[in-house]
Amino acid sequence: MKKKTRNTMALLLTLVMAMSMMAGCGSKKADNNAGGSGPKKTINLWSYTDEVPNMVNRYLELHPEFGEKYEIKTTVIATTEGAYQPALDQAILGGKTDAPDIYAAEAAFVLKYTQGDMASYAMPYSELGIDVDAKIEEAQIAPYTVDIGKRGEDVVGLGFQATGGAVIYRRSLAKEVWGTDDPTEVAAQIGPGWEKFMSAAEEMKAKGYAMVSGGGDLWQVIRNTGEQPWIVDDKLTIDPARDRFMDLHKILYDNGYMNDTTAWSDAWFADMSGTGEREVFCFLGPAWLINYVMASNAGETAGDWAVAVPPEGFFWGGTWLLANKDGNPEVRDGVAELIEWITLDSSDDGLQYSWANGTLFEDNSTKDAVGSGTVMERSNGEIEFLGGQNMFEIFIEAGEYANGKILTQYDETMNQYFIDQSTEYATGSKTKEKAIKDFKQMVSDNLGIAIE
Amino acid sequence: MKKTKKQYARYGYLFSIPFVVSFLTFNLYPLLYTVVISFTDLKGVAATEFHFLPNLFQNYIDAFNNPSFVTSLKNTVFIWGINFIPQIVLALSLAVWFTNKRMKIKGVGIFKVLFYMPNIITAASIAILFSAFFEAPIGPMNDLLMRLGLSSKTVYFFRDALTSQGIVAFIQFWMWYGVTMIVLIAGINGISPTIFEAAAIDGANGIQTFFMVTFPSLRPILLYTLVTSFVGGMQMFDIPRLLVQRSGPDNATLTTSVYIYNQAFSGSYMFNRAAAASMILFFIIAVCSAILFYIMRDQDAAALKKIQKARAKNEKQARRSGA
Repeated sequence: MKKKTRNTMALLLTLVMAMSMMAGCGSKKADNNAGGSGPKKTINLWSYTDEVPNMVNRYLELHPEFGEKYEIKTTVIATTEGAYQPALDQAILGGKTDAPDIYAAEAAFVLKYTQGDMASYAMPYSELGIDVDAKIEEAQIAPYTVDIGKRGEDVVGLGFQATGGAVIYRRSLAKEVWGTDDPTEVAAQIGPGWEKFMSAAEEMKAKGYAMVSGGGDLWQVIRNTGEQPWIVDDKLTIDPARDRFMDLHKILYDNGYMNDTTAWSDAWFADMSGTGEREVFCFLGPAWLINYVMASNAGETAGDWAVAVPPEGFFWGGTWLLANKDGNPEVRDGVAELIEWITLDSSDDGLQYSWANGTLFEDNSTKDAVGSGTVMERSNGEIEFLGGQNMFEIFIEAGEYANGKILTQYDETMNQYFIDQSTEYATGSKTKEKAIKDFKQMVSDNLGIAIE
Repeated sequence: MKKTKKQYARYGYLFSIPFVVSFLTFNLYPLLYTVVISFTDLKGVAATEFHFLPNLFQNYIDAFNNPSFVTSLKNTVFIWGINFIPQIVLALSLAVWFTNKRMKIKGVGIFKVLFYMPNIITAASIAILFSAFFEAPIGPMNDLLMRLGLSSKTVYFFRDALTSQGIVAFIQFWMWYGVTMIVLIAGINGISPTIFEAAAIDGANGIQTFFMVTFPSLRPILLYTLVTSFVGGMQMFDIPRLLVQRSGPDNATLTTSVYIYNQAFSGSYMFNRAAAASMILFFIIAVCSAILFYIMRDQDAAALKKIQKARAKNEKQARRSGA
């Protein structure tokens, strides 16, 4: 008898073990149901930083009646080492109740979700019930963000930020070399066009300064300025503008116009505080570079900076919000409400107004350039870091000149291969022909794209 | 008695169910799936449908016609080689010193822990640590070289192919020599002390003892180390992937595993080609391991086995003819 009980126990334990293992996959669902109190519906939100989730939480605080209807379940996976995309893809493909309803995509890979392999899963804003064309017109959304967010004629993704780039330069150096730190006059010294930029670099060099920190800074501007994307008719195409970057890179290197740093390295950050090899005259970037990167690295040079119109228009980074067509149909209205508030509401109650003025959170967050031009016009973009300059005057213009028409979903990889080969050429270890040949080979080998 | 035994055996099967199920779903199924898709046209991030290629081995042919793949194979072998040779020499020397009864080294335990330490830290942290070390133009290693007067110019370590490969190999060496050393110490401790005593009585010096006693007795363990290191080295992925962005100057640190990753996840999602490259890597590892086993086999034991076999055969024949 005793033995029998023991045997039964063992059998039971084994079964429990086996069951628990199999149940592991389904346990998430149980949590969900337990968490929802009453008739609240869940909106699944996927993002790669807590930026968008924080905005949504703020919306819930400001609009308690929304919180009574919906609850938000956020999934945040960092983009580090490409972890976000595979997870998001699986979640979208897997569908069902846990599928993302709203998902965020970053500039480096947004094309895959708006026009590339995953585009078919995005739901047009108009089908969410948003009068998208009229709203874009009314808010004066920066055209490049719309171009990127368009699948054919349908807008499927928009952002809240404007990431049009400017020249962010040191006032004191400009004064020393040209006798003025006025943004208009400085812009006339360094542009338009790269010949002027290089002759300005020569003047900087004469005084012992570097024009830019590294070749990559220039690439951020030039990579999207041409007319042809990397791939035309399934074939690799090198736009003349990109081809020309190699020459400019070599000029920078040969003449010592730069400190030859890599973006995001210690040396690059050191150049922001003027403690690198030589003091650097300018960085090229959007408002987020000022607020989130330079501000914390500039040290004593804070306040000595200003922004001016760049030699050529460009954009760098940004977040686009998309709705999943296979998301839960019951929460569609809530999804539309959130997306509209974040991306298209240009009123004083919209997200972008408080984002531009740094008033979204009570602890006075940073001011940032936003997608809507009309919001920026009404807002106060004066920040101490720029010596009190109203940065929106420049960034409205920057957003208009940025080009979002020549992106492909392969850009991140292609750009890396290209700048690598450009460095090989600029530093003199290869001829330009060899560098371009090797670039083509890399693209063909790793992406399977035809090269002529 | 017999009955209860049978029952217990049944429980054994039950207890192994969790393992078997997880092995079948998470190991065997993906493995077979990889084999299958290596013959297909499965490509694209959201693709689930695939067709077998008219020429089944097209993906394999493509791989060998792909210069990056060939480079990656060469790199992998080269980087593994320049990491393994110093690694085995150092590990063997340390193992012999630490087990030497005459030298009476103090604090062996502490040294073992210290040498093992790099292997405990995750590869990702180590990769970030080293890439910060060798950063240019401002970085600790550049600073050091300048201060010691060894270099007057900034050195861009990761722009030079050989330097990049050397750094990757050094990290592999530094991470694994401690592990190898522990394995070898265990191996030496497993050799019967009577052999060492006999050698000592015969008047063998340290070097003679090493080459005549320790080394031959350690052969199976050395073979084990060589094969595991080779298998691990061929699959080298994390350090080269994380240390140098992309794959180093001109693919210098592109290992085969990084190549496979790039095929699948760098933009074109060519799962079929990645699978084919994985299969090729698998065959290379399997064949090379088999060759290593053959070369390093215990020849005396093999010869003995042969003799025994022959004798058994003779006896059998003798018996048969007798009957």
